[in-house]
Amino acid sequence: MITTAAASLSLGPGLYTAAARSRKADPNFVDPAGLRPHPQMNLEAAILEQPRPYWLGWPGTTYDLDLRQKEYRALLAASCQKLGVTLREEAKPVSKENDLVALIKGVQERKPHGLLVILQHMQSWGWANRLANEAGVPLIVFSPIGTSFTGHVNDISRRAGVHVVSSLEWPAVEDGIRMIRAKRMFEETRLLWIRGTERNETVLDRLGVKVRSIPRASFNELFAKMPESEEVKDIASTFRKHAKKIVEPTWQDQLNCARAYTTAKRLMADEKANGLSMDCLGMVSDKLVPTPPCGAWTMLQDQGITAGCEADLHGATSMLLTSYLLDRPGYMNDPVAETAKNLLIVAHCTSGTRLDGFDQKPAPYILRDHSESSLGVSVQVLFPVNKPVSLIRFQNTNELIFDSGKVVSNVNTPPAGGCRTSVEVAMDDVEDCRDVLGFHQVVTLGNHCRMVEGFCQLYGINVVHSPRYGTHKKA
Amino acid sequence: MKSFIVYIAVAGLFSASVARAAGPGIALSSPGFLQSQLDGEGRLVEDWGPIQITLQGDGLTPGASAKVKALKLDGVTPAGQARTDYGAVALTLTVFRAPAFPAGVDVLSARVEPRDGKETTVRLKVSLPENVRIGTRAAHIGGRSVLLLPQTARSAQSMRDWGYADDAASLPGWAHPASACDPAFANIRAGLGGVPISYRFKVEPGATRKVFLGFCESHWAVAGSRPVVCQVEGALAKNIDPLAAWGRHIPGAVEFQAKDANNDGMLEISVLPAPGAPDLNPILNVIWIFKPDEPVEVPALLAGEANSRVLRYVDVGGKDDQSLFAGGDIEYDLTVPAGGRQLDFIAAPPQSSAPLPGETAWTSEKLRRAALEVWRDWR
Repeated sequence: MITTAAASLSLGPGLYTAAARSRKADPNFVDPAGLRPHPQMNLEAAILEQPRPYWLGWPGTTYDLDLRQKEYRALLAASCQKLGVTLREEAKPVSKENDLVALIKGVQERKPHGLLVILQHMQSWGWANRLANEAGVPLIVFSPIGTSFTGHVNDISRRAGVHVVSSLEWPAVEDGIRMIRAKRMFEETRLLWIRGTERNETVLDRLGVKVRSIPRASFNELFAKMPESEEVKDIASTFRKHAKKIVEPTWQDQLNCARAYTTAKRLMADEKANGLSMDCLGMVSDKLVPTPPCGAWTMLQDQGITAGCEADLHGATSMLLTSYLLDRPGYMNDPVAETAKNLLIVAHCTSGTRLDGFDQKPAPYILRDHSESSLGVSVQVLFPVNKPVSLIRFQNTNELIFDSGKVVSNVNTPPAGGCRTSVEVAMDDVEDCRDVLGFHQVVTLGNHCRMVEGFCQLYGINVVHSPRYGTHKKA
Repeated sequence: MKSFIVYIAVAGLFSASVARAAGPGIALSSPGFLQSQLDGEGRLVEDWGPIQITLQGDGLTPGASAKVKALKLDGVTPAGQARTDYGAVALTLTVFRAPAFPAGVDVLSARVEPRDGKETTVRLKVSLPENVRIGTRAAHIGGRSVLLLPQTARSAQSMRDWGYADDAASLPGWAHPASACDPAFANIRAGLGGVPISYRFKVEPGATRKVFLGFCESHWAVAGSRPVVCQVEGALAKNIDPLAAWGRHIPGAVEFQAKDANNDGMLEISVLPAPGAPDLNPILNVIWIFKPDEPVEVPALLAGEANSRVLRYVDVGGKDDQSLFAGGDIEYDLTVPAGGRQLDFIAAPPQSSAPLPGETAWTSEKLRRAALEVWRDWR
């Protein structure tokens, strides 16, 4: 029998779920699917039009209102069904002032998690602005081409709490819904912060993530008791089977890696948590565990469960963002300047393999040990050359660094030192690789600038970019 | 409409108030954190001072004692409540610890309710310890933010002759001037979160002055990183890019011919982020105010050699900088509808700070939900 965790490394999501069910007979089994938050999300939607019939003015008399509205309602329903969103639609378009007032009042009372309006006339922008000011919830404004000029969107599209899509591309509207869903996932997340000796719980401003601090010893004490169960053996076997190459890890290393994975799952389940960040280096330094958790974190990341390194809280919240907003893993990196080629090297000893998305095929990976300690199992995930990547980092819950670049090559260790997953990136808008902002920026495949900026704008988070030109004067 | 004055005093002197403590108190905390207390007199006692709430005013019964009790908000979150009957008005204080990262905050809600069910107007008075520096919405002790005030406009407050009236942060020693200069260039105030830096100076109504603003940028090095807009009353606003003008770590100053243009007897000076600035946190190092005809050589000014002739010299963010608002009372004139009105304060409990306006999305409602979610799942 193949286990859930193992399946996730090699099989599609459908088979993965089936395998999880088969394992549920084991009372000690923690289904990873249950660790990822599945929040209730309520979205309200309305169409804003003007009294009919239309005469002059955009979208024009030839614009088929009924047909377009039917089409957009169907797309919206499909998107909400796909994303697990509960939709409440205004049955009739808002076409009079009284309708708008009733809509605002209703939204204020019901407090949905977001409001989406579909504009069907240029004269409706005043209403969109009123909704932005008065509704009190995040607002998505879909303006199909033919319902706005640049002047209509110039200001409102840059306002906090608003996401404007002026386009015919429905996926861009669905992305707006994903932004609100991601926020709901943040709000329903409890992140274990495994470090020190404290036990307490707080909540992050703006994101709403609950941060439960638990003593570092919680992990190694539970690990010591974790058996080499059938699940552990399955996971270890599958992890090795699908590797492109195995360099250092022994079978025993692999079993320990899988035990770290089942330990983490059990700990999260016991604490009603959905992700974690651990003082792993301190644990290895103090020789409390025979293996760093790098390989285990790879498996969790591929299952949409954030597992962060070094108890870097905002490294972990940045990983939550790629998971919840982009449905793909990211890894927090140690940035290195490659000055001969003017490239940024982004390196760490863990990374998810499902770079294109949790439901996509994994990237090839090589099993290595943790380079700094020569212990356990780590992965070198081979990133696709010439593909874009994003670097994302919450500095705090008010500010996020976003940069992008393109993969140039994967760096092997040796000849290089440092971490196992190591990728050379040519930065897009930074003249000198030494000037890239941040540390432990989360690397994820694809350029997600618009999506990340849209999310941040909806929730009042300032986005900064590395400076195009250097921050230091030349000598 | 009946009108009277309600005083809500947030008392300041920690030791004296502790000595006056009477009756059993209610401990307030969140899992894993130090306690605050709602004491027997209905005061919220923090490590930086107790907060006592009293009501005074026409038609109110003086000297009523608070009835203090423990309760569970939403059936889950531990809280304390102090209710005081002042005759025509009832005041209910509810306080709970919210688990805001990193170490929690205390949410203090003051609810005023007319007992006759009719709309009324009240003056709500908040008194803070003398050592608390009060800004527009935040109050500090040293570098610690201890209280976030509600957005409601204040009606009156004891004001000094000059000082800042903003929610910027003082950052002494932030700058590193590359050359010998006025020592004030080492300190700044910063409008973290993009809030403006604003000072007001008492002058004769309609007075004119020569004003210099001093800058020394020590974080960024490239022009365009942190441009600011300087607004000096009576003068044209100027966009200043200290890095473009002088460079990193290099002190510089800009001159303005100022005038109390609105004849209110206060000269206003503000520094704001320039629109589109990559770094939206404005900074300011020094303010000099001279007579309008005082000859001033900028090199001498930068070297600190003109300070003997200055009317007002502000080492912005330095040890002698001050808030415009004197410690003590803050007053709010409120219209209280028949159903009552509530003001929410967010206080810093031990080992914590209150959130800063412009840097927080917390509201009392969100904090209450956060407390519920944490307590609900805590074991």
